[in-house]
Amino acid sequence: MTQIVPLNKETHRALVVDGRASAAYGDNRHFVRVIVKEFPQLLVHYPILFSKHPQTGELYCGAMLGFTEGENLFLEEWADRQFYRPLALQRGPFYSQGPDIAIDLDDPRVGAEGGKPLFTEQGQPTLYLQSIIWAFQDLNPGMEMTQLFITRLLELKLIEPVEVDLEFDDGSKRQCTGLYTINQEVLATLPDEVIVELFRRGYLRLIHYMIASLKQVQVLARKKNARF
Amino acid sequence: MVQPVKAVVIVGGGTAGWLTAGIIAARYQSRMKAGGFSVTLIESPDIRIIGVGEGTWPTIRASLERIGVSETALFRECDAAFKQGGKFAGWTTGAADDAYYHPLMLPQGFAQLNLVPHWMHETRSQSFCDFVTPQGRLCDEGLAPKLITTAEYRGLANYSYHLDAGKFAPFLAKHCTDKLGVRHVLADVVQVNQSESGDIESVLTPQAGEISGDLFIDCSGFSALLMGKTLGVGLKDCSDVLFCDTALATQVPYEAPDAPMASQTISTAQEAGWIWDIGLPTRRGVGYVYSSRHSSEEAARETLGRYIGAQYANLSVRKIPIRSGYRETFWKNNCIAVGLAGGFLEPLESSAIVLVEISAKLIAETMPANREVMDIVAKRFNDVTLYRWGRIIDFLKLHYVLTKRTDTAFWRDNVDPATVPERLRELLKLWKYHPPWFFDEFDRLEEVFPAASYQYVLYGMGFESAITPEDTLDSQLLAARLRQENERLTQELRSRLPKNRELLNKIHAYGLQPV
Repeated sequence: MTQIVPLNKETHRALVVDGRASAAYGDNRHFVRVIVKEFPQLLVHYPILFSKHPQTGELYCGAMLGFTEGENLFLEEWADRQFYRPLALQRGPFYSQGPDIAIDLDDPRVGAEGGKPLFTEQGQPTLYLQSIIWAFQDLNPGMEMTQLFITRLLELKLIEPVEVDLEFDDGSKRQCTGLYTINQEVLATLPDEVIVELFRRGYLRLIHYMIASLKQVQVLARKKNARF
Repeated sequence: MVQPVKAVVIVGGGTAGWLTAGIIAARYQSRMKAGGFSVTLIESPDIRIIGVGEGTWPTIRASLERIGVSETALFRECDAAFKQGGKFAGWTTGAADDAYYHPLMLPQGFAQLNLVPHWMHETRSQSFCDFVTPQGRLCDEGLAPKLITTAEYRGLANYSYHLDAGKFAPFLAKHCTDKLGVRHVLADVVQVNQSESGDIESVLTPQAGEISGDLFIDCSGFSALLMGKTLGVGLKDCSDVLFCDTALATQVPYEAPDAPMASQTISTAQEAGWIWDIGLPTRRGVGYVYSSRHSSEEAARETLGRYIGAQYANLSVRKIPIRSGYRETFWKNNCIAVGLAGGFLEPLESSAIVLVEISAKLIAETMPANREVMDIVAKRFNDVTLYRWGRIIDFLKLHYVLTKRTDTAFWRDNVDPATVPERLRELLKLWKYHPPWFFDEFDRLEEVFPAASYQYVLYGMGFESAITPEDTLDSQLLAARLRQENERLTQELRSRLPKNRELLNKIHAYGLQPV
């Protein structure tokens, strides 16, 4: 069940929320939606790919965290805050309602042991809540910017399906389908004026981040192998 | 002096004209942009509403992709729906449970092994179709051939479209003129000017003056303005083989907007012909194709009314004559007949649009460089097109000649050997001992109906081929593996595919992605 209500500094003054990463809180995801603004932080740890929303077929950008449903190979690093955790998970039980922040009171993170307060005794947002507010300031316009980026790439036929075929040390094979990346052949043949346009819009940088991040697939596979 | 072919003029703006224009223009974009080649389409401003639902063949996907239109736009703008094959009811015995599928997917491992002997040798607890492909069962369950996440023009099961031809032609026209640089002239051709050799030099229109060209394509429909009227090429009648000569067409609304929609063309045999039933998102297209020698119009209307039921009283019915036949020559001088101008057959296997596609593709790929080599190209075009018409007629006749029905003169007359083309008679004799397959007979590049289609109809209609059981032993393992694969694929598709209408609604809401 969900019970989403607007956040209120009077009624929620004493509320605590556990913002830490945990499988129990839904961080056990192998692919999580991201926005273009996150690419520089993501690139150093995770492959950044495109996937499709299963209900609408719409393409979105995501960070790959594991190879099978529910497998997140970074939970430990996230638990002690070593690695960047995507905003879509950092946001925890919070939602945006127009300009306001809302909270799902039925979420297990709300009121959990070890949770952090949202407001100071004076009714000011705590640093934790402030980080959530900042996350939404990035997320809301970021979603739209990311969709514009994808739309332009599609127009230029710059997105192509990619199959990730891996064989792990325990002998198991894994074929990840439904993933897409930048078509480097098409990129190499774009006319100069389009390259300049992509550069000016900041897209060329994002494109190269995505290409560079493909190297992280092997890192991810090694990480999984290390567990056997 | 060498006279280069630089200007193609298409007369007629229906499906045939625009599809031909699109396929040729897409092939020569670079030359057109450099100014060395042009495609002009002349369309009469008196637009004739067609409005009958049309079936297509899966080749249309590759054709449309090559032309460069978006599949999402096709679904949204042409009232298009998925087609996964044909279901033929009542053709064999006329009994209530008499039905078989001609699906669009090839039998499992078709290029590796002929599964017919294996099916014949086993208990036949399954229909031939179910033995070799999931598609009949997908149709039975009303499932779509793909997912919302599947890219445009790709499928998990093979498919083509049912679409509204009245919307399809303007849809193609817009793309051809906006994106491919086809010149669109709205004018009536009132005079055709020929050179001494008989070549067409130009056509005269009151609205746009004289329009000259190096190659003319006649897509003017039944009137065959250039090929028939000007060049005097006659029609070869084939009503002695295919008896149906009249269609009564209507449109039936769904009882609810979210009513289930079939993704197969349903063709139900009647006393003197058959009724088509095509599901478009907004309505069904239903029509009775019959032989006027075997039924009065009154009786035919009654038959159609009985099929449709209570709704029939409120529907308007259009009568369309069908003159089964094709041109004696398709490419004469510098003129080619494509579409109805080239010929027409009953729409039993949706052969009209596919024939336009492959003709246009052949014209585009073999476009003669100049007038001097044109006759050589023309001869080849005529040979292959004549072959294709022959094969389509054979294939349509196959549906009739295998019937066991004797209830009406129509069905009895249809099995009269005198009405069966020589080649088909020979093949039927051969097939009694050698089930058709990949390697024999159908060896032409771009055969309209591959051997698989013959298998589906033959063994769907209970044709018996004598097989030597020992011959199946050598390939037993492979056959077992292919059957297993077929069952696995069937289960997988049944669990993953959405309902036909559900997916169409999603395509209208979200669109399909180009990748």
